[in-house]
Amino acid sequence: MTDLLARMARDRIFYLFVAPFAALTILFGLWPILLSIQVSFTASASALKPNPSYVGFANYASVLADPIFLASLSRTLLYTALAVVANLAFALFFAMLLDSALLKRGNLFFRLAIFLPVITPDVAGYVVWRWLYDRSFGAINAALKMLGLPAFGGLSSVDTAMLAVLIAELWHHAGFYMIIFLANLSMRDRTLEEAAHVDGATAWQRWWYVILPQLRPAIVINTVYALIQFLKTFTVVVVMTKGGPNDQTNFVSYYAYQLFDQARYGEATAMATILFAIVIAISLTAYRIGDREPARA
Amino acid sequence: MGTLRTIACAAFAAALSVLPAKAQQLTVWHDLGDNGIKWFEALSAEFAKQKPGVTVRSQSFPTDQWFGRVISALNTDTAPDLIFNNYERVIRIQNQTNKVMDLKALTAGIADKSFLSEDDMRVATYKGRQIIIPIQRVQMAFGVRKSWLDKNGGKFPETWDEVKTLAAAFRDKDPDANGQADTFGMALQAAKPRDLIHMLDLFIFGSGLRHTLIDPDGKITIDQPAHAQVLEEFLKTYSTYRFVAPDTINHSFAEMYQVIEGGRGGMFRVGDWNVRKWDGAQVLNGDFVSGPWPKFAADRPNAVVIGGMRGVAIPENSPNKALAQEFAAFMLTKAAQQASLENVGAGVRKDLDVSKLSPRSQYFAKAEHRLVAYDFPESIHAFYPELEAAFHRKLLAGIANPPADWKAFIAETAKEMRELAQKLKS
Repeated sequence: MTDLLARMARDRIFYLFVAPFAALTILFGLWPILLSIQVSFTASASALKPNPSYVGFANYASVLADPIFLASLSRTLLYTALAVVANLAFALFFAMLLDSALLKRGNLFFRLAIFLPVITPDVAGYVVWRWLYDRSFGAINAALKMLGLPAFGGLSSVDTAMLAVLIAELWHHAGFYMIIFLANLSMRDRTLEEAAHVDGATAWQRWWYVILPQLRPAIVINTVYALIQFLKTFTVVVVMTKGGPNDQTNFVSYYAYQLFDQARYGEATAMATILFAIVIAISLTAYRIGDREPARA
Repeated sequence: MGTLRTIACAAFAAALSVLPAKAQQLTVWHDLGDNGIKWFEALSAEFAKQKPGVTVRSQSFPTDQWFGRVISALNTDTAPDLIFNNYERVIRIQNQTNKVMDLKALTAGIADKSFLSEDDMRVATYKGRQIIIPIQRVQMAFGVRKSWLDKNGGKFPETWDEVKTLAAAFRDKDPDANGQADTFGMALQAAKPRDLIHMLDLFIFGSGLRHTLIDPDGKITIDQPAHAQVLEEFLKTYSTYRFVAPDTINHSFAEMYQVIEGGRGGMFRVGDWNVRKWDGAQVLNGDFVSGPWPKFAADRPNAVVIGGMRGVAIPENSPNKALAQEFAAFMLTKAAQQASLENVGAGVRKDLDVSKLSPRSQYFAKAEHRLVAYDFPESIHAFYPELEAAFHRKLLAGIANPPADWKAFIAETAKEMRELAQKLKS
């Protein structure tokens, strides 16, 4: 105890500077989460009253027995897996392209073009995408029709709605991941590639065995961030599909929001808590796996 | 100096004599936006004539925020003096706070209230408590784009068969003459439970039936022959008949309005609050006519639907409770109701001056057509929102993958709803 106090006294300037941010984090970050978790243990009818009735894990039992929630959860996990892979692959591909000698001319233009959607307000972007997909006046189907190709079901078909949402999110987020990859690429040790080249490694071998391992920090950060991002997918659903058609884009965040709308506060916060736990668990696991020292041959 | 002092004292005394004994402010929280704020400003000026020194300040919140703020304010004794919203929203406030005042005694003391019907009072009452004073009936009619109608015979469709014929013509005959197949028979919505069931409510009640899904005794009604007929045709409108835009399954209010105001939907819902905007040159420029919802059976009269009731409620912990009650009663007076009609497009009195309104607004204000009110199941069955959400989900599944046999689909849906209602009741 004395040691701790002595250490704090020694580092008092550090704690002084950290204190305001720690207070804000507790007040606006941790406290609402704790309150939300508290609500998940109360009966919905009394959830917002000063003295709510506590029902133990009843809301969790109800949520876990709800087939719509279970379907929504598996759909969320599937969408997250697809979105993380698609975003990272797309971002890595464009980062490599922009880092290569192929795009020396117009490099800045292409960087801006891919990053611009990141700073575009997401609601505005998704509204435009909804219009693009519209089956009666959307540009995508108009173009397909001109080319004599079959129409794209877009957001109104159960077969294509998730893909359509994924494409819109890819447009919005991939630029961010690309910038992280580009930053990592610019810091890599190029002499290793030259050495591999001298040793007779092919372009593919150089990329796979020399460049990619050096991108490990960016891959870890991007993967963890993308997992968090896509597990919580919400705005795109609100703007473009409202969970439809026929629940094909009814991800957990949106389903919990729907329950709020029906005043089922206890179950909604139980869902949010379950999602929170999943996000933490998956993110930490991904981080631990990614941060592990690579095995040496 | 003495003269100056005398003049100053006289001026001070004169100022005191014209100032009210005590300035008071009432606060009202609502979600009516700018029109509502203007309406309460007008009410404040009118109320000050009988209560000098009293001002009424209204604050408008988006509906979601309104819920959160009202619930937390009532639960923490920081309530506004009055709250104003749709009856079903006030029910939710009462469920979460138990602090909405019973207005029975106040209403009993109002002499001039003969215009309030039994239906109005039933809606205002929840679990034996009168939680609102009804202020605005929400009327919803069936609208047709007039210029398109004129190109197709000009007769307002009365029966469902006439509506179907007209809808097909609006879809196929290029009524806007732009050379493109970009028009639809109807503009509807489906995305959220309230969207789709609200549309179904209009067809059901407008056709003269009394319950969309469940009756007051808790019996599921959707497979009763008359109900099933309307439900089947309604679902086909979204699917087999192709009368609506292909993306309607994802459309909520905003998208439905885009189809209407963007000039692509031929028939649509017209709320009394829509008329003022749609009369505008930049919107529909008055290019629509309103009438009752289509008739499905010759022996069952059709109607315009009363789809809601907006009213004023008083929190038990209102800071100025006595004055708030006076203001709530004042909102039923002719002057206050006239202001409501002119600013929000609705009221509950029938003796208001409608001469300044457009013919399309007068259609609602005069209420010369037959009116049928919703049955407001949420005021009887606490589990209704959950049941409705499940019903919506089932209907959306049908629209997304239309079954070969709609009758079997409706029978199966009825069975599932009965099982769920039983479970929710217990």
